[in-house]
Amino acid sequence: ETNKLYCTSVKCCIFELKAELNSDKKEKKKEAVKKVIASMTVGKDVSALFPDVVNCMQTDNLELKKLVYLYLMNYAKSQPDMAIMAVNTFVKDCEDPNPLIRALAVRTMGCIRVDKITEYLCEPLRKCLKDEDPYVRKTAAVCVAKLHDINAQLVEDQGFLDTLKDLISDSNPMVVANAVAALSEISESHPNCNLLDLNPQSINKLLTALNECTEWGQIFILDCLANYTPRDDRESQSICERVTPRLSHANSAVVLSAVKVLMKFMEMLPKDLDYYGTLLKKLAPPLVTLLSAEPELQYVALRNINLIVQKRPEILKHEMKVFFVKYNDPIYVKLEKLDIMIRLASQANIAQVLAELKEYATEVDVDFVRKAVRAIGRCAIKVEQSAERCVSTLLDLIQTKVNYVVQEAIVVIKDIFRKYPNKYESVIATLCENLDSLDEPEARAAMIWIVGEYAERIDNADELLESFLEGFHDESTQVSETHTHTHLQHVLHKHTQNTPDSDNPDLRDRGYIYWRLLSTDPVAAKEVVLAEKPLISEETDLIEPTLLEELICHIGSLASVYHKPPNAFVEGSRGVQHKRLPARTASGESAESPDAGQSVGGVSDAPPAVIPSQGDLLGDLLNLDLAPPSASVPVVPASMQMGVDLLGGGLDSLVGLHRPSGSQYIAVGLAGGTGGMPAGLGGTPAMGGGLGDLFDLGGGVGMATGSYVPPKAVWLPAMKAKGLEISGTFARRGGGIHMDLSLTNNAMSIMTDFAIQFNRNSFGLAPAGPLQVLTPLAQNQTIDVSLPLNTNGPIMKMEPLNNLQVAVKNNIDVFYFSCQYPISLLFVEDGKMDRQVFLATWKDIPSENETQYQIKDFHLNSDAASTKLQGSNVFTVAKRTVDAQDLLYQSIKLTNGIWALAELRIQSITPNYMLALKCRAPEVSQYICQCYELLLRN
Amino acid sequence: MISQVFILSSQGDHLIYKDCILMHYSQENSLDLYLKLVGITILLSVQCPQRNKNLNFIHVRHSGLYWVVSTKDNPSPFTIIEFLNRLAALTKDYCGSLSEKSVRMNFALIYELLDEMVDYGYIQTTSTDILKNFIQTEAVTSKPFSLFDLSNVGLFGAETQQSKVAPSAAASRPIVASHGEQVRKNEIFVDVVERLSVVIGSNGVLMKADVEGEIRVKCYLPTCSEMRIGLNEEFSIGKSQLRGYGAAVRVDECSFHQAVKLDEFDTYRILKVCPSQGEQTLMQYQLSDELPCAPPFRLFPTVEKDYGSRLLIFLKLRCDLPPKRYLTFVGISQTVARALLLFSLSQELSSPEQSAELQPRSKAVLWTIPRFPGGAQLSAVFKVEVPRLSSASLLEVGPISMSFELPKYTCTGLQVRFLRLSPTQPGLSQRWVRYVTHSDSYTIRI
Repeated sequence: ETNKLYCTSVKCCIFELKAELNSDKKEKKKEAVKKVIASMTVGKDVSALFPDVVNCMQTDNLELKKLVYLYLMNYAKSQPDMAIMAVNTFVKDCEDPNPLIRALAVRTMGCIRVDKITEYLCEPLRKCLKDEDPYVRKTAAVCVAKLHDINAQLVEDQGFLDTLKDLISDSNPMVVANAVAALSEISESHPNCNLLDLNPQSINKLLTALNECTEWGQIFILDCLANYTPRDDRESQSICERVTPRLSHANSAVVLSAVKVLMKFMEMLPKDLDYYGTLLKKLAPPLVTLLSAEPELQYVALRNINLIVQKRPEILKHEMKVFFVKYNDPIYVKLEKLDIMIRLASQANIAQVLAELKEYATEVDVDFVRKAVRAIGRCAIKVEQSAERCVSTLLDLIQTKVNYVVQEAIVVIKDIFRKYPNKYESVIATLCENLDSLDEPEARAAMIWIVGEYAERIDNADELLESFLEGFHDESTQVSETHTHTHLQHVLHKHTQNTPDSDNPDLRDRGYIYWRLLSTDPVAAKEVVLAEKPLISEETDLIEPTLLEELICHIGSLASVYHKPPNAFVEGSRGVQHKRLPARTASGESAESPDAGQSVGGVSDAPPAVIPSQGDLLGDLLNLDLAPPSASVPVVPASMQMGVDLLGGGLDSLVGLHRPSGSQYIAVGLAGGTGGMPAGLGGTPAMGGGLGDLFDLGGGVGMATGSYVPPKAVWLPAMKAKGLEISGTFARRGGGIHMDLSLTNNAMSIMTDFAIQFNRNSFGLAPAGPLQVLTPLAQNQTIDVSLPLNTNGPIMKMEPLNNLQVAVKNNIDVFYFSCQYPISLLFVEDGKMDRQVFLATWKDIPSENETQYQIKDFHLNSDAASTKLQGSNVFTVAKRTVDAQDLLYQSIKLTNGIWALAELRIQSITPNYMLALKCRAPEVSQYICQCYELLLRN
Repeated sequence: MISQVFILSSQGDHLIYKDCILMHYSQENSLDLYLKLVGITILLSVQCPQRNKNLNFIHVRHSGLYWVVSTKDNPSPFTIIEFLNRLAALTKDYCGSLSEKSVRMNFALIYELLDEMVDYGYIQTTSTDILKNFIQTEAVTSKPFSLFDLSNVGLFGAETQQSKVAPSAAASRPIVASHGEQVRKNEIFVDVVERLSVVIGSNGVLMKADVEGEIRVKCYLPTCSEMRIGLNEEFSIGKSQLRGYGAAVRVDECSFHQAVKLDEFDTYRILKVCPSQGEQTLMQYQLSDELPCAPPFRLFPTVEKDYGSRLLIFLKLRCDLPPKRYLTFVGISQTVARALLLFSLSQELSSPEQSAELQPRSKAVLWTIPRFPGGAQLSAVFKVEVPRLSSASLLEVGPISMSFELPKYTCTGLQVRFLRLSPTQPGLSQRWVRYVTHSDSYTIRI
């Protein structure tokens, strides 16, 4: 009989239901309402029955009443006038002696989103918030949140928020939990008003309620606790101690919310504290337990563990085995596990991991097998000791001849070759056997790369390459690029010629440039194409640290599963606030600065040095990969004639190629520049204003404002540049960076059309304007030019870090040189750190990032040194005198946001300065230390 | 928090749909649109959460039904998955069994449950103790339960200490009696369920063994009375702790339901709990690596290249359990040739009730043994015709994976010594205990 409820035939028409609804019999009425709701569920429009259903509302049968209320919730919005009819019953029901009916009424009326009704509801709601029955109070608490969503102003005017705040101290934990949940939601839409007002007293109340309320209430409370910033490490520890018992809860959501609180508050505990270690140990078992849950939970748990492992690898470093893949895991769980396995791989467990990975490579699922093979490669790169074993494992896999295994193996072997050059070439022969089976672009590109790279060791390399060349036109861009590159590499080795002919203009041009290069100066070309490849990074797919910090604050939420901040996928204002991990504050220090809570927020602002590792093989040749800095600056021989116009049209086409990828080549040509110059380049808009700027030219040159400027050095001798001599220096003036150049014409002819371009460099230095040489440079004339620079250029890590490769062009030729800038050039003016922040940051940077440096035979007192350094934006944060030695604490900020903290120890007895430098990016430390000496001595 | 709750049939029809925060009507069918886009079967194979048009969908699957929640903001997926599992369990408790039919018949009851469980997207409670105060609707069952319906005693039949057997349907009736029912049965069912996963290396060495176990209680007692469950006295937790003499029953990690009182656990290994009506997990435990018993199977595989393009797989399987024990539903599968599409199979099995078939999709041979007594030894020869067989193909023969169910047996040795109710229930109260170990990840590498 009940199946009739779902009947979709014409018989169950509205008319019939109407009659039944108006029946005298209670049972019949009930069945009729049930039928109405069944139709509603399957999506039929039964709104026409609204008045009839509302008529059934006044009944003492609770079951029927609930059904009617269910209907009301769905249709009140579409029938606002009718909904008014229900108001009286609501108001009456809110005073019913039965608490179930009171709660039911208050729950339902909050769901009726009709403006006209809301005003009538305030009085009943106010009463229910103070009801004697906790079931009514907890329902009323949620109702405030509902009402706030409909009419926020009304809720504030009626003072419901204050009543809600009072409910946090309610005797019933369910009421407390709902009040906390409602307040949290309301405060998310009002980020500024501190509704929850978390202070030690209210936190204490919440912690007490935590022990008593239901598991779902515990989640609300824990999530609320996570928003609190403890005053000091002691308070942080005591909260942690009271939250830890939640870790053994059977509900994984409670566990994860507790993990979130602990991960956040741990940040404030000193690492040498015993309790810190205890806490770390306690975090592992609950995370491991999650992995025995059903796959849905396992997946979300693994995504979270992936974050935790990146933040604090020590928690799970001994738990490698639990991440081993099970036969019946779903594929998405397997792939996540694999990812975590690689993150946890270390010398201690690598043998075990490799044995597992090798097994995985024989499974059926193609995606999984590929990732497993890739993982073997990543192990080799991460744990050097294992590289040999990894390579032999990969060779075993290649023996299986399973097509996708072989291809994937070749791709990772290429990476291994890059990481450990000239170590495992013995396997090349085996790789070459599998040439025919390669049909995926990535694998083909990798193989071509290997052949090109080790061309000298492969007897038939040119044959192999020729075979790849046959399919040249059909290849994807990736392969073609590598191919062109490799082919050239090979050609360079063999000194034979071959010009690829392709329809892709980009590729063709590149090939063309190479060919030009080749035909003009094989030496220079060799240096361009065979330039050292950037190192391959050990960890891949690491989440950027600031994002990681934010995600750690969202552990257990969707954000932690998507690995995206909430504002990336939540609409509207909710979740806009970026959450930050608290910085460490010792209990003793907090007394001095009550506002430490706010000020410490800035510490983590400094993004660690993110020098992108070069993913692409080519080192991006299109960006004018100059030869590495060395004595042999590639200068094209002067003997070249117009016929080979690499330098005229050739360079222009090079420049033309640049354009799409954000050219920095800024040229100012005088009217009537060389005819061969393409219009796109010759007609730079800067040209028009050229003369007007003439008088500003010297303005900036040579004006020192205390900042250290090294003396000009000759960067490009005249004999290497057809008579053009360039000397120069770098200076920081008025918050800007300048390159001061002196150009001298030692040649017999006039020089015009100067332009300058930088290669990619470590800090993204790039010309901020054109090179202002507006009058032709006559014989024996010298001109001083100041070139303003910015740091918005493309970034590539250079060796040494402060190396800058420059190309200067004039009407005669293009010249290349490299120079080094003092890193103090990059010290910015707002580099003075707050004392508290300094302290916290100093403690936070691990001691392995500390560099010691000695400055010998130096006799300046601490104040003079401090003033001198301040001139170059090295700021003294604090000074202490201990045992006849002065300690200066100094902070430096680089243009890219890297902070360096220094402790300068000046002893009055010995003339030596001791410098201790801490920086999250230790690779810059050495250069900063050298700068210290330079700055002090000048 | 939760925006919408859906219960979908296996075809994707709405059985239950609740809009918790009352989104606009136009968005009501967001899930339908999504499913139209990807098809209902996609829910089988994808991870959750899934994102579509500003909504996040989280789903679980129970008894062939999809339980889906959509949400707009950034809630905890753990909360939602736990909630959906609880919703499914409660639906089962209240409706007796879980199927498309029972959900359809009891939609009013389920709406009522949902109303009490979620208010404005905030989860309120999932405890039967609290819910029973509010729920008015009676469950509708398709067939009144009868103890005389003993037709399908078997695997799921419970066994008591007195060797009495209850029918498998005994535990599948609603926890709340309908008014029509005359005799209220006060029964309590305790299950000790262990899940075993084992990896045995190609050299026959046990590489990895995990046991995940739990003690589940399904309670039909209407009033709360304290139940005392006595476990083995030599039960110990952690590596260092050892109790009693002889072979201890040891687990690594142990967690309890929050209602369990542990004051007598440390000394006497007694769990005290006032079980709520319905099903709940009292205790969960894990043991890894050090199994107290030998793994139940030994397998001796040989893979050879026969003449021509034939692959010869010889499997000898020995069950090391005592003869009294037996395994049911043993399924053994082995990947044979991944890269090749065409092959055929011929087989020689040691008894007619067994069967073997080639599964083209997973490229594996599946050998099914309905009943496998302890101490017995079975063997099988498979000849697989593989075109273009090379010696490298031997490398492609993948691991052997077994799944089985082992009734009346726990790997850890955990036993329920006694089950007492205090004060003693007036009238008839029956207590049933059963043990089962099952495995779907018992892998032997080649």
